[in-house]
Formats: sequence, structure tokens, C-alpha cells
Amino acid sequence: MASTRNDFASVWSLYLWIGIAVAVLVLAAVLFAVVRYRARPGRAPSRRAEANLLEVGVAIVILAIVALLVFRTFHTEAKEDDSSAAGAVRIRVDAFQWGWKFTYPGQGVTVIGNSDREPNFAVPAGRTVSFALTSSDVIHAMWIPGQKFKKDAIPGRVNHFDMEFGGRGREQGLCSEFCGLRHSNMRFGVWVLSDASYERWLAAHR
Amino acid sequence: MSRLAATDHKQTAAKIAVASIFFFLLSGLLALTMRAELAQPGLQFVSDHTYDELFTMHGSGMIYLFLTPAALGLGLYLVPLQVGASQIAAPRLALFGFWLYLCGGLTMYSGFLTNNGAGDDTWTATIPLSNSTGTPGMGMDLWVIGVALAVFGSLLIAITILLTILRHRAPGMTMLRLPVFSWTMLATTFMVVGSFPVLVVAMGLLLAERHLGGVFTGSTGSIVYQHLFWFYGHPVVYVMFFPFVGAVGEAVATFSRKRFFGYRALVVSLLFFTALSMAVWGHHMFITGAVKNQYYSLTSSLLAVPAGIEYLDLIGTMIGGAIVLRAPMLFALGFIAQFLIGVLTGIIVASPPLDDHVTGTYFIVAHFHYTLFAGSLFGLLAGVHYWFPKATGAMLRERLAKASFWVLVLGANLTFFPMFFLGYDGMPRRVADYEPRLGDLNLLSSIGAGVIAIGVLMVLANLVVSLRRREPAGDDPWGAQTLEWWTSSPPPEHNFERPLPQITSHAPLLDLREHEEEVRERRVEVPA
Repeated sequence: MASTRNDFASVWSLYLWIGIAVAVLVLAAVLFAVVRYRARPGRAPSRRAEANLLEVGVAIVILAIVALLVFRTFHTEAKEDDSSAAGAVRIRVDAFQWGWKFTYPGQGVTVIGNSDREPNFAVPAGRTVSFALTSSDVIHAMWIPGQKFKKDAIPGRVNHFDMEFGGRGREQGLCSEFCGLRHSNMRFGVWVLSDASYERWLAAHR
Repeated sequence: MSRLAATDHKQTAAKIAVASIFFFLLSGLLALTMRAELAQPGLQFVSDHTYDELFTMHGSGMIYLFLTPAALGLGLYLVPLQVGASQIAAPRLALFGFWLYLCGGLTMYSGFLTNNGAGDDTWTATIPLSNSTGTPGMGMDLWVIGVALAVFGSLLIAITILLTILRHRAPGMTMLRLPVFSWTMLATTFMVVGSFPVLVVAMGLLLAERHLGGVFTGSTGSIVYQHLFWFYGHPVVYVMFFPFVGAVGEAVATFSRKRFFGYRALVVSLLFFTALSMAVWGHHMFITGAVKNQYYSLTSSLLAVPAGIEYLDLIGTMIGGAIVLRAPMLFALGFIAQFLIGVLTGIIVASPPLDDHVTGTYFIVAHFHYTLFAGSLFGLLAGVHYWFPKATGAMLRERLAKASFWVLVLGANLTFFPMFFLGYDGMPRRVADYEPRLGDLNLLSSIGAGVIAIGVLMVLANLVVSLRRREPAGDDPWGAQTLEWWTSSPPPEHNFERPLPQITSHAPLLDLREHEEEVRERRVEVPA
């Protein structure tokens, strides 16, 4: 799942533009019908009530569009499922009511924070980051809107996924699965750093 | 007392109507409170805890206590009339169903009177948050019991409708002569019978989990609960949609002065839709990592086919017609246009890589409010405006109805359209507070909620005024096509006092008019 962000953008725009085109077409048809076929003196309504060829034709066209969309979706989904990048930065994430713990296995680095003081963890820009996400109490979800991605944190299960962070700077993350009282404030930050700064950050947090 | 115990299906349906309007207003008030809180970032009016109760009871109230019972109540009223029956099958069961539903609703809402307040675990009550550790307190127990009662009551009502369609059709009313609305009710009750028992069981298990423990445990417990919940939770979405498509279909045919287009294609698409509805639930679980996303993505995307056929049939009915834009037709057109946005964004969230970003956010909130509010509620209002004269014998005020339509259109789109952007830009659902940069769109949405409130009040005012100062409707004010318009308004206790016309299609009254027309044109003597 090296480049979710690029893939997301292209899949999203494919779905969105097809959706907009269909919406325009359907609304135009409705508008046409309402304007063209308004009741007027002398207009007798048609008695035609069936056009099975048209029904089948429309079904086939929709099926073809669905096939295109599903094909595109499967293609991207397969990349997401393929989280076997070697040499990736590994981060274990433990969600809890109402905060996050980020652990860098083998590095001796742990960042923890809660709804009063949100934690910030760091990743190197341009490298694959492999997350192992779980929860120690109820279900949470780890969402990084800038990455267009989220995954559930479920107690007793570990969900694995990869991300690659592009531009440097800070990305906001938050919990997006209702988890109780302080859910609104269960946030975290991601510092996306150059390799050198990332190493310095690790050293400073050991 | 005799009214409370009356088993006539129309009386039971009237009780459901009153109760569901009550729960709609209550749950709507909660939504207005939420929008007031969300008008600005930060906490102004309510605490985090109160806010959790608000959205939980709003969603639960609207789904379990308003749209589902209202959909079934419409069917309970109309199906016996449409199929030419003198009574519902098992009328006492239907009445018992109503009382279960009402008691369930009151039980659920009575949580507000307990120390810890009402249920506050969202309308889905996900495990482990909803167990006794995650959410202690009586309010949550009342919620669980209330949901079980209301859903069980709805199930009983649906069974009586299903039996009526299968066993009580008038002579000549074959399955392929059932009116469009009755077909949508048949498909609806199939889904209810297939899925509602699962939720009743899930609520029983949840109650056991809360008091005895050991039910939904370990690494799979939470996932098992979600499977049970969504096996009900997706079909119920169409339970809150099919009957309103049916209502819209009837209104569109009547006000286009034309036979419903593609009747048999609609029947096939409804059955296809029904089958798929029970094979898509996992799309609510894409981000759990515990389901096969590709399978649920495929089945969910396939829903576009029957949905497309329904749209084709609705538009096909208008094309070539002689369209009269009365209030029911306006609401039907509102349904068609706005539900479309719900359908198309539904295709987006059927794609896991896209759902990964927008699920659990305001994008989803916008999506399902376009289906349930801008769609289903407009469909329900099309039905209410269409059948009110039949049920009461009085016409609604046309100008007030049209004004309320436009206010509701404005309010719905002002409220829900900004939510697509809010969700995409990073606002999760179920939060009382958010980043200040999202303030403008939230304010816009809150203003929209106020406009909706005005629109709802206008609709209510219309109902009250029209009942108080009655303009008699007559048997068939619209020139409609189905048997409920053959009898008086309101219909007598056993529905029909004169013999039914010959039933030759799903639109017997239209057949009758067309036949008379042919006779006139050919200047042939009508046989006595």
C-alpha cells in the first residue's frame, strides 16, 4: 500500500465524476419529463407502460459501470492488503480510553498521551511505515484524514496496515469510532520528518 | 377504551401514526439540540455525556421508533385496502405489535429519568463499549429492552401485512396484479421477517452480556456482535426505503395520469434488491479488518442495478404522461431528486478504499440523511399528502403543503449538503466539539436544521388545520388507480360497501376509466 494517497485520489475522482454525470443525467430526465409532459388541455397521457428492452439495456449499462468501478476498487484494495514491505519502519499503536500509545519496537521509544495532552509521534518522509494497531479496552479507530485512511483498533485483535507519508510537517489524527465520554478529544499528531530529523527525534525520545 | 382495544387495521395504523409522529418530534428535538451545540466549536449548551445521549437517542428514535413503524403503519393501513381485503390478517397480532412498539419506545426514552441518563452508546451499541464495564447504568438496560420490544412489535406488524398479501387478496388479485405500493410492502415484510428476529436475539444476548457476562467475549466477541447487529442493520435501511418508493410510485403514476411504467421490471428489481439486502451487511465493517471486503463491496455495488431500474421506472412513468404538480407529486419529485444523492454517495462508500476515509465521519452522516431524511421522509410525506384525504375524508391545504415542501427542501439541503465536506475534511461523527476551522460549514448546517424545524411545523399545522376546518375530499379526489380509492373516505369498518370492480391489472380503477373511454370513443352501448 505504498501510495494510498495517489490511489485514493484517482479512485475517488472516478467514482465522483461518474456519480455527478449520473446525477446530471437523471435530474435532466426528471426536469425534461416535468416540463415537457405537464398536463395541458388536449394532452392525452400515453398508454405505453412497458419497454422491456429498455429495462434490460439500462440494467446492462449499469452493470458495466459497476463492473468498472468494482474492478478499480479491487485493484486498489489488493495493494492495501499487501503489507509486506521489507525494511519498513514499524510502529505499534495501542488505543485506549481516551488516548494513544505509539511504540517503536526495538528502538526503545514509546510516546503516550491522552485527551488532555495529545501525543505526537514521528515518521520519516517517503518511507513505508508499518502499523500494528490494537486497543486495550473498547473499539477505537485510528484516522489520519490527510492520509485518507483509517482502521479499527479492536481489543484482542491486531490490524496491520502500511502508510507512506509524503510532505513534511504535521498531520492531525483522531479517533473516529465512538468510544465513550472523551471521544471528541481523542486526538494525536504525526510529525513527518526527514531521515536525519527522524533519527534525532528517535534519539531524543529514547 | 373501545378505541384503544379496536382491532380494525385502520385504527391500529392510526395509533402507529400518532405514536411515530410523537417519537419523530421527540427525536427531532434532540437533533435540534445537537445542531445548536455544533453551531460553534467548543462546548456551549450540553456536556459530552449529554451529547452522547442526544445522538444515541436521536438515531435510535428515528430508526426504531419513527421510520420503521411509520413505514409498516402505512402498509398496515393501505395493504388490506389495496388488495381488496375487509381486514388485516391477524388483527389482534397487529394491535399487540403496536403496543409492544409503544412500550419499547417509552422504555427506551424513560432512560432519561434514570441517574446516569438514557442509552449513550450510539444506535448500534457496539461491544465492548456497551457491556456493563463500558456503559454501566440502568439507562442503557432500558435502551436494550426498548429496542428489543420495539423491533419485536414491528416484526409482528410486518407479519400481519405479509399474511394479508399472501392470503387475503380479493378474487382476481393475482400476485402480478398487486399494486406497486403493496409489492414494495411485500418485499419489505420479507426483509423484516428475515432480519428483525436476529436483532431481537442480539438484544437478548446483549442484556445477558451486561448482567451475566461471558457472551460476547474474547477477540471475536465484538465482531460477532457486529455481524448480528448489521445482519439486521442493513436490511432495515431498505425497510425504511421500499414502502416510500412504493408511495412515490403510486403518486407519480396518479399525477402523471398514467399507468406505472415497467411494473414487472420493478417487481423483479424489488426481489433482487431484497435478496441483496441480506448479503451486504459486512460493508458496515470494512475497516474492522475482520470481513472479506471484496465480497461485500461487490454485493453492495450491485445494488446500483435494481436502484437504477426503479429510477428508470419512475421517470418512465412521467414520460408521456400529463403531469399535475399537486403537493404529493412535489414531495415525490423531492424524493426522486434527493434520494439520488444518497444512492450515488452510497456507491462511493461501497468501495473500501474510499470508505476507509469517509466512514465514521460526517460524510456518512450526510449520505444516510440524504437517504433517510431527504429521501425516505420526503417519500413518507408524499404518501401522507397523497393518502390523507382517503384516511380522513378531508383535503390538506394545497398552498401550505407546497410552501412546506419548498421550506423542507431548502432546510434538508442546507443541513446535510455541507456535511459531505465536513466529513471529507476531517470531522468524525458523534463528537460534541470539533476543530475551529470547520465552524462555518457547521453553522450553515445548524441554520438548515432550524429551517427544517419550520418546515416540519408547517406540515403539522397543515394536518391540524385541515382536520379542524374540513374540506371534504370525496372518494377519489386525485383520479387514482388502485382499490383504496374505490371505497369512501374514510373507509368504513370493513373497507368496502359496494362490490369491487373487476381486477384486471395492478391499476384496476385506471382499467375501468380506460375501458369507459374506449366505450365512449366507439360510441358503444355500455352493457348493464
